[in-house]
Amino acid sequence: MSSPRKSESRAGLLFASPWFLGFLVFLAYPLLASIYYSFCDYSVLKAPVWVGLSNYRELWRDDVFWITLKNTGVYALFALPLGVVVSLALALMLNAKVRGLAFYRTAIYIPSLVPLVSLAVLWLWMFNGEYGLVNVGLKHLGLGSPPWLSDPAWSKPALVVMSLWGLGNAVVIYLAGLQDVPQEMLEAAELDGARSWDKTRHVTLPMISPVILFNVIMGIIGTLQIFTVPYVMFPGGVPARSTYFYAMYLFDNAFRFHKMGYACAMGWIMFLIIFVLTMVSLRASEKSVHYGGS
Amino acid sequence: MIATPMELGSLKLALMAAVVAGSAIYSEFLTTPAPEKGAVHVTYWEKWTEFEGDAMRAVVDEFNREHPNIHVDLLTISNIQDKTLMAVAGGVPPDVAGLFGPDVAQYADDNAVLILDDYCKKAGIKPDDYIRPFWDMSFYRGHVYALPSAPASTALHYNKTLMQESGLDPNKPPKTIEELDSMSDRITKFGPNHSLLRAGFMPAEPGWWNWAWGYNFGGRLWDGKDKITALSPENIRAFTWIQHFAKIYGSQALQTFRSGFGNFSSPQNAFLDGKVAMEQQGVWMYNFISKYAPGLKWGAVPFPYPADRPDLKDMTYADEDILVIPRGAKHPNEAFEFIKFVESQKGMELLCMGQRKNSPLKKVSPEFYAKHPNPFIRLFTDLPKGKNTVEPPKLGIWPEYQDALNNAFDEVNLLKSTPAEALKEVQDRMQPELDEYLLRLRARGVIK
Amino acid sequence: MAKAEIRDVDPLTDAGANRPTRARQKTSKGKQGVASKALIHLVLLVTSLIFLTPLAWMISTSLKPIEETMKQPPVWIPSHIFWGNYWDAITYGSATLGYIPFLVYARNTLIVCILVVAGTVASNSLVAYSFARLRWPGRDIAFAATLATMMVPFPVVMVPIFGLFRDLGWIGTYRPLWVPAWFGGAFSIFLLRQFFRTIPFELSEAAKLDGCSEWRIFKDVILPLSKPALAVVALFSFLATWNDFLGPLIYLLDQKTFTLSLGLQFYQSQHGGTQWNLLMAASTIVIAPIIVLFFFTQRVFIQGIALTGLKG
Repeated sequence: MSSPRKSESRAGLLFASPWFLGFLVFLAYPLLASIYYSFCDYSVLKAPVWVGLSNYRELWRDDVFWITLKNTGVYALFALPLGVVVSLALALMLNAKVRGLAFYRTAIYIPSLVPLVSLAVLWLWMFNGEYGLVNVGLKHLGLGSPPWLSDPAWSKPALVVMSLWGLGNAVVIYLAGLQDVPQEMLEAAELDGARSWDKTRHVTLPMISPVILFNVIMGIIGTLQIFTVPYVMFPGGVPARSTYFYAMYLFDNAFRFHKMGYACAMGWIMFLIIFVLTMVSLRASEKSVHYGGS
Repeated sequence: MIATPMELGSLKLALMAAVVAGSAIYSEFLTTPAPEKGAVHVTYWEKWTEFEGDAMRAVVDEFNREHPNIHVDLLTISNIQDKTLMAVAGGVPPDVAGLFGPDVAQYADDNAVLILDDYCKKAGIKPDDYIRPFWDMSFYRGHVYALPSAPASTALHYNKTLMQESGLDPNKPPKTIEELDSMSDRITKFGPNHSLLRAGFMPAEPGWWNWAWGYNFGGRLWDGKDKITALSPENIRAFTWIQHFAKIYGSQALQTFRSGFGNFSSPQNAFLDGKVAMEQQGVWMYNFISKYAPGLKWGAVPFPYPADRPDLKDMTYADEDILVIPRGAKHPNEAFEFIKFVESQKGMELLCMGQRKNSPLKKVSPEFYAKHPNPFIRLFTDLPKGKNTVEPPKLGIWPEYQDALNNAFDEVNLLKSTPAEALKEVQDRMQPELDEYLLRLRARGVIK
Repeated sequence: MAKAEIRDVDPLTDAGANRPTRARQKTSKGKQGVASKALIHLVLLVTSLIFLTPLAWMISTSLKPIEETMKQPPVWIPSHIFWGNYWDAITYGSATLGYIPFLVYARNTLIVCILVVAGTVASNSLVAYSFARLRWPGRDIAFAATLATMMVPFPVVMVPIFGLFRDLGWIGTYRPLWVPAWFGGAFSIFLLRQFFRTIPFELSEAAKLDGCSEWRIFKDVILPLSKPALAVVALFSFLATWNDFLGPLIYLLDQKTFTLSLGLQFYQSQHGGTQWNLLMAASTIVIAPIIVLFFFTQRVFIQGIALTGLKG
């Protein structure tokens, strides 16, 4: 190894050192501690006491754990694909060179800038069965007025609808990805007589498939962690635990029920689920994702 | 914005660094308590806002005036239970915290609050000074862990106008549950397509005691030791009664009706808006009536009892806010000095008058009643003196138990489960939970 | 100004391939184009209106007297504009609390944001530079591990991190909210690394021949060329901090130290009553600067993300 190589290595490690430290202190240690606590009776007020698999056993037969897991899964199952499709469609349209783009972009992006607490409170009111703007609108269209907030069958759909207003970030990332699609390829396709939908399907989508994958994975991680909005809108996951999500139950166990060990066990299960889902999406995408150049 | 300074050389970079360093230093300054000069500073966290907060502030001001060597700093804190736990865990607790009565067991089991036995003895504070439930709620496993601040009790509130409109005598409110049911039927009004326009009585309103209805039928939630008794005939009877309203109103109509209610503290509150004619409510309801519906003609009577259980007459839910000294408090002695002042007749009446509530003390000055604006203040004071008072079980797992009961209530009210099914679910969930909890307490030597 | 910034970077990327020129757009205009453009316009317009409705409602409510906020049918234009709500929103609760909560929360949020954004930009640019342009043993494995950490949800490490900060005596201070930002984060490292790799390596080599140290190359060559990417990272971290609810909920104790996202909850009084008009006025004040900022910087913003090339 030559001396410049050595000094480059040294510089490299030095430059990366904040992250090594951060990784060890804020990730590796908490992750390991979290495994340990998950086998303990622990409440932060008292020293952890080893209880073996007891937390996991309790989780296995904890109905609420399964309910929150199911709620989170159902929510993700609807919010995620809907989010991907809508944000992609919006991004494709926003990429068309039409007038007033700045306005459209801003309009679609700003709802994701509203603080989540305000957003939650605003929607709480928009969804009010009688006074709420949503139902007033639906009534005008003759679509009836569902009791969004008080009926377990409607509370999750309400959250899914709301999630669309937070798509701004995903749209922006898609838009950025679309800027990378070479114009020549689109024009070549046009010369071959491709219609705009064919162009989109055969040129644009494959070109931005890595971005789609990226958004899907970030979406999985984000949706499975849903917390703030239901925490503000539906304290305790009312009605009938229909909006009780995994992260809320985890938070409650840690800070309301003082069961930190139990919460850690839940955290690890969440991590494993996200890990598996990410791996599955990566594997599933291997064939369909097109990496330019490589 | 962030990036521009870099090209503009070291001057801008230095300026940026200075702003960042300044922010860091300032952020430290913001979270460092001011150095104490002269008087001992007692930090007191309280959840109340608006007029309730103002009432406590008046008490604090009075205390500070009388005690030049102690200064109480009253801080308004939302999410006070979580915050207090985090502060105790973090080793930076306040000297006094205003929690809720049902928190005592959980915080005591977690060794998060100080035992006040010796302080009480020294100050001459005795159980006899208090109306029983209000002392009882702060007493746990043979020790005093808290003392009451503002208490409350509940009664049936009813809308006289709606009774009259429905052909009922507004001066003869229901005495028994059966009367309540038939009057409710008279008042209830349906619109086209079986939509609900007005309800006589609705157990889900205001929804704060969904766990408690079993007591009105003689049920209990635990045996005081190690058995959960959610699945008892009395509790099933209560839940059946709850469900019968949902059946009368129709589940769908009920949900649609309820989804149109405004917030509790608003003119669209279901009771204030004339949508629900009769409600179980606390002593504080007067405040909201006078604020949002001053024209409402209303009355309050003890909540009805089942005709076959006259022994359950005058049932009331006792509720209270409490003061505790968190473990690790820097000035426990001065903190108790303040609590002692709140517990004095003078301090307590100042507070309870300000919040327009009843006093937890047996001794009440005549002026208190004379000046109290709530026309039913004597009722609310006398009800908790009876034998039929409901207090939340003193269980460390109560927050979870309450969640489970609330959920059972929801399921029954939505006609998703039968009362027996819903309560069995609670029983099957909470009994192992309690077993495990007691096992862990034993392992730690907290109990034998 | 925004344009100038983009042009700065152009020579460094394969501009011809990446950016459509105006001339090319014209050639692709046909009859079919006009029809589909009208359709796109229509869909975008409707979508924009739908997206803006809650916001419009928010602003409309913020200008109403309280009685009108719950009127049925809903009132879009207040009977008379109630600017006083904004004053009331800002001073709301100051009588009880003894300070002006809104201004205090805004100040706190700003301080945390400054510290987080500065830390994020400073630490991640260093780390990303190392991953992108310096060779050292184990680098690629370390980078893969870094990407994997994006999968660790905060709730998993919430409890031990709380314990860690407790042991450090940091509960009730701002440190738990900003110190970690100075030690890097996977998402920003990833974005910046991708960008740094697009800068021609010849530039570094030339600087090295001139005798520049890695630090000098980083500071004087790479950073000035990376402004759009740095701006994107800064903006993302700013927004995340601005909106963070769980962190302040756990670590901040005294109401006086709360941030805006946590403080806004204060407008929902304990009894579940909400001063709708005041809450909405407060929210409007909170987001107004961000909307203006976005409207004027969006091109740079999107360009910045594009240049970081999210492709793996």
